[in-house]
Amino acid sequence: MAASAARGAMALRTNIGRPVAFVRKIPWTAASGELREHFAQFGHVRKCTVPFDKETGFHKGMGWIHFSSEEELHNALQQENHIIDGVKDLKELNWNSITSTNFIHSDVF
Amino acid sequence: MAALLRPARWLLRAAAAPYLPLSLRLLAGGPGRPHAALCLRAARARPVAGGLLSQARLHSIAAEKKNYLQEEPTSSHRRNASQFDWALMRLDNSVRRTGRIPKTLLQKVFDNTCHSGSAGGNQALLLLRSCGSLLPELKLSERTEFAHKIWDELQKLGTVYDVSHYNALLKVYLQNDHKFSPTDFLAKMEKGNIQPNRVTYQRLIAAYCNMGDIEGASTILGFMKTKDLPVTEAVFSALVTGHARSGDMENAENILTVMKEAGIEPGPDTYLALLNAYAEKGDIDHVKQTLEKVEKSDLYLMDRDLLQIILSFSKAGYPQYVPEILEKITYERRYIPDTMNLILLLVTEKLEDTALQILLACPISRESSQNDFGSFFLRHCVTMNTPAEKLKDYCKKLKEAQLHTSPLQFTLQCALVAQKLDLAKVLMKALKEEGFPIRTHYFWPLLVGHQKEKNVQGIVEVLKGMHEIGVTPDQETYVNYVFPCFDSIKSVRAVLQENGCPHDDNVFSQAELRSKAVNGNLDYILSFLESNTLPFSFSSLRGSLILGFRRSMNINLWSKITELLYKDGRYCQEPPGPTEAVGYFLYNLIDSMSDSEVQAKEEHLRQYFHQLKEMNVKIPENIYRGIRNLLDSYHVPELIKDVNILVEREKTDSRKPSSSDLESKLEKLKAENQPIGDILKQLILMLCSEENMQKALELKAKYESDMVVGGYAALINLCCRHDNAEDALNLKREFDRLDSSAVLDTGKYVRLVKVLGKHGKLQDAINILKEMKEKDVLVKDATVLSFFHILNGAALRGETETVKQLHEAIVTLGLAKPSTTLSSPLVTLYLEKDDLPAALESTIDCYEKYKILPRIHDVLCKLIEKGETELIQKAMDFVSQEQGEMTMLYDLFFAFLQTGNYKEAKKIIETPGIRARPTRLQWFCDRCIANNQVETLEKLVEMTQKLFECDRDQLYYSLLKLYTKKQNIVFDNETYARLINLLLMKDNSTQAMQVKDFAETHIKGFTLNDAANSLLIITQVRRDYLKDALTTLKTALDLDQIPSRLAVTRLIQACALKGDTESIHDIQKLVNGLEDSIGLSRMVFINNIALAQIKNNNIDVAIESIENMLTSENQTVDPQYFGLAYLFRKVIEGQLEPALEKISIMAERLANQFAVYKPVTDLFLQLVDSGKVDDARALLQRCGAIAEQMPILLVFCIRNSQRPGKAPVMKSLLELIPELIDKEEAYTCLMKSYVFDNDVTSAKALYESLTAKNVKLNDLFLKRYAVLLKNAGESVPFTEPPESFEFYAKQLKESKETHL
Repeated sequence: MAASAARGAMALRTNIGRPVAFVRKIPWTAASGELREHFAQFGHVRKCTVPFDKETGFHKGMGWIHFSSEEELHNALQQENHIIDGVKDLKELNWNSITSTNFIHSDVF
Repeated sequence: MAALLRPARWLLRAAAAPYLPLSLRLLAGGPGRPHAALCLRAARARPVAGGLLSQARLHSIAAEKKNYLQEEPTSSHRRNASQFDWALMRLDNSVRRTGRIPKTLLQKVFDNTCHSGSAGGNQALLLLRSCGSLLPELKLSERTEFAHKIWDELQKLGTVYDVSHYNALLKVYLQNDHKFSPTDFLAKMEKGNIQPNRVTYQRLIAAYCNMGDIEGASTILGFMKTKDLPVTEAVFSALVTGHARSGDMENAENILTVMKEAGIEPGPDTYLALLNAYAEKGDIDHVKQTLEKVEKSDLYLMDRDLLQIILSFSKAGYPQYVPEILEKITYERRYIPDTMNLILLLVTEKLEDTALQILLACPISRESSQNDFGSFFLRHCVTMNTPAEKLKDYCKKLKEAQLHTSPLQFTLQCALVAQKLDLAKVLMKALKEEGFPIRTHYFWPLLVGHQKEKNVQGIVEVLKGMHEIGVTPDQETYVNYVFPCFDSIKSVRAVLQENGCPHDDNVFSQAELRSKAVNGNLDYILSFLESNTLPFSFSSLRGSLILGFRRSMNINLWSKITELLYKDGRYCQEPPGPTEAVGYFLYNLIDSMSDSEVQAKEEHLRQYFHQLKEMNVKIPENIYRGIRNLLDSYHVPELIKDVNILVEREKTDSRKPSSSDLESKLEKLKAENQPIGDILKQLILMLCSEENMQKALELKAKYESDMVVGGYAALINLCCRHDNAEDALNLKREFDRLDSSAVLDTGKYVRLVKVLGKHGKLQDAINILKEMKEKDVLVKDATVLSFFHILNGAALRGETETVKQLHEAIVTLGLAKPSTTLSSPLVTLYLEKDDLPAALESTIDCYEKYKILPRIHDVLCKLIEKGETELIQKAMDFVSQEQGEMTMLYDLFFAFLQTGNYKEAKKIIETPGIRARPTRLQWFCDRCIANNQVETLEKLVEMTQKLFECDRDQLYYSLLKLYTKKQNIVFDNETYARLINLLLMKDNSTQAMQVKDFAETHIKGFTLNDAANSLLIITQVRRDYLKDALTTLKTALDLDQIPSRLAVTRLIQACALKGDTESIHDIQKLVNGLEDSIGLSRMVFINNIALAQIKNNNIDVAIESIENMLTSENQTVDPQYFGLAYLFRKVIEGQLEPALEKISIMAERLANQFAVYKPVTDLFLQLVDSGKVDDARALLQRCGAIAEQMPILLVFCIRNSQRPGKAPVMKSLLELIPELIDKEEAYTCLMKSYVFDNDVTSAKALYESLTAKNVKLNDLFLKRYAVLLKNAGESVPFTEPPESFEFYAKQLKESKETHL
């Protein structure tokens, strides 16, 4: 199943300048444990959150990976496809914040 | 403004009413704006799913509706109409996209209609027509029930039914195989005083025939005859069915002969009736024979018809014949929705095996399995309770067929959404068998449902199920999904034991611990940690503990817990050890608090740190620095020294000299009578960084005569941090004595002001401010912010004099402008004391002094909360008098919104005459975002829906910002669609794509509409993302959307310029069959393919294929429409000389040898257009026939006359072909062009040559010429036609029409 990783900083104050990847399209079968496991290959994952919706019991398909360094984040973003739960591509794009326009990868479909 | 005033005055009176909240219920007036123009799509050229599977033509209702509106344009009908418009759009969209309507959508539209209190005739018709085969996911009986419910409810609302409604109901009955008595139906119509018409009779016959009642059908047929109504093919088809169902196949077949005798040729419908009749009998031989017969005739059965035969076979219990019919299906793309609907219908009818058969036969491309196919089938199977074992098998088959990559997972997801525990268990076991892990969170959706209903038994069942599958509940499961269902955790434990639910005691206890922590039960935490015997990681508790600390302000417990975690061997002992763990915990604790929270809890935190110090708890220096930075940014540097005491000194860098080293060195130097200034300063700075104020002050006293300016500055700052006003002031005086011209940095001045103010040394504080002014200290934005914090801190402590005097001094000295922010503490003072009259007074006072109204919003909110009606009146009077009614209304609107008085807020914003004030709306949006007020912002967005000139996109953008900030996206299709459109309009495709991706992950089936996708394609082309654009086009077409002509053309052109012939061919295949709907000419492809080939240096190929097209026997495009102007222009523009030469030869050859003049004429005109007049002349000389191609030349003239800057082109053309002047169209265009470009000379020449020829010029021509002359300041040699341009243009048009 598809999931995408992006450099992310959606939380307004604390994430600025921190090496955080924003991951989208996480299949419902995977949770933070699976994500952490996958992204550990790129570096030390300090924190990994995949918020669940308490109303439905499902997560919303997105999560945040906090790396220890910019370099590790870069490693993760360098990889073309991320595959979680063995099914499909995860593609990458840069989501610095919703006002940013800096694309890493334009093939977003 | 008068209109604005009325409700405002009314409000003030209403506000005086004795009850609260303020009621504005009687406020008059709805939006007094003209109703938005109704724009309805005309019927699409493209057929949507129809036949059995969807016969309702929603479009036709739309067409009827227009007339209806014109008849009764009253306001209530208008409102209905706008609602109807919306409903129509939703249903219409669904039918166009999928050929069906989801039940939930129909229910929603119906509920909305009921809610609106009335329904028009057409709205009722729309709803009724939706209740038939458009609902394949509903059982037949349920559909009819739905129709009856709609019928009855709308009748109660006063909807008047006419014959069309009865006919619609009949059709629904037929589509749903509903058994009813036609005579009763007629009686019912009679009672309603409705005359049946031909359609009614026809459908009643069908009803009888469906029951096999030929006698009944004959009676109705008799009626029709007496009324002289024509008997149509539909009636005969029904009779075929009738005879067949009465068991008389022979007569059923005979009907076809009877028809022919009656002069009606049996059409596809009749054959279909016959085919269905055989299918119902399981007579495959006759079905095949009949199919062959149809194939041989000139009739044509569509996929849709074949699908119906399949349905008949399956329903009659002959699924074995389905494959033979399936073979004949062509699977044209446009019938895919029909096929899907049949599959859904079969599942509904419990014929899921057949459904699967059809699904597997669908020719979906399997390698590029970008999208899984068959999810809709699996989902519907889950809804319809298909047995679990069957579903397992289906999943297997779908996977084997490579239609779906993860069918089991998907089906499980559906089962979880539908909360079907048993099915979920079976599927999980199946997944497990295939080697997939079963994760704890799979069970959460199941628990959620029971948790909402507090269904303990349900929870127990799920927990047992988890055990059965071999999954142990983790802490999250208990904390988030199990505990909330129970009154106490004790009872959870009891119930689990009672029901024999095995649970890991360790996990359970920790979950309990977390749950208690979150609730702030610190006593429990402490006793648990003390008595706990099992090891666990502190980090798993950290988040909950922080929440718990913030909930309970019992500092003793904070310290005890921290101490235990730090010292006890059970916790935090493994690397990196307790120092690191507790340090990080403190950092997180402070980080999780907001600046105002830390400010408010400053004393508590200080106490906490000191207790930790007593307990000998230490933290690493690097973490201390992090905390220091946090405290600095929170404007509480006073706490820094209190954290500093916790720093683990032993581990600080040993290479650096310690303070004692320095001190002995200092003493040594002093003894040797050497200068000690430098080393003294160094030592003082070190003591300052160690926050050792006592020692530093002692040192200063001892070596006072050796002190330098820098040492004093550091000391002053240190004393300020330690809240030591007395010493700080003394040091400042000594500092001044040392060097009266010395200047401190801004931050130190500000800290001095703060400390002095705090300790009541107001005059001294003011003196510091004066010094800042005198010494011209740099005041930055941050300084002003610090001033605010000083004032605000004082205001929160209730120090009235400090606030007033310092504010006064800052403003009068001109250190800062009296902004709303800076002045707000003046109001805060009173708000904090709940002294509302004084707060309002203070705000008004600020207005009188500085023309600002600080915290007026908060004052109003409090007034509303407390019901202070007189003060509200006073405030509103003041605001409207000083700033106008509109500002007042906005103030009131926001205050009502903020305080949750939504009804009142709505009345205000609907005041007639109110219009959008973007800055004020944005202010409120930002406020909501900052304060995480999702509901308030949602209400704002909702209420401003009809606000005049309101930038909706901006509001939605704010909403999205808030959602993303909260990481809590509420998924709403419209929000996203709007946003994406907005971003596309702003040409920001990158962001648009991000948002689109985001939306797609969060909204099931999120799609952009036609317009947005088209816009997206155009943007992508412009940005040169051609691959993406092509994908977008594919996506749009897959959704059965019709992209705009412009979008498709742009994409093709861009591909051509890249020389990408292949992509153009791909596009051609994609839009095959849709060219007319898009409005795409074949020539677009021909031109661009040729251009692409030329770009690839395949000039000969390009030329050959064009030539072939124009000279072959079966031409696809009439030569006279074979326009190659685009190609020619691009070749000329691109200066592709070899290509141009060959093209020229081809064009001439076509003209000379085949008498095809269009290409050569186009080439000629393009040469003229590009200013290559000599080449054009040469071509004309070689091929004189060009001058005779008047229609082509005239079209060129007309097109060019509509654009500016074409006068030279027109002039050259006239010179080359002087005969043109004899044509009225031509000289009109010429004049138009000259006028466009202000070319007076050419215009004069034209006029003169025309008058010389005695041509009778029309008024429009003369008017144009006259205006041109007048504007050039020349006299007009004739009487200028007096009327307007429009008048003459219309006159000319009319005269031409009458001539025709």
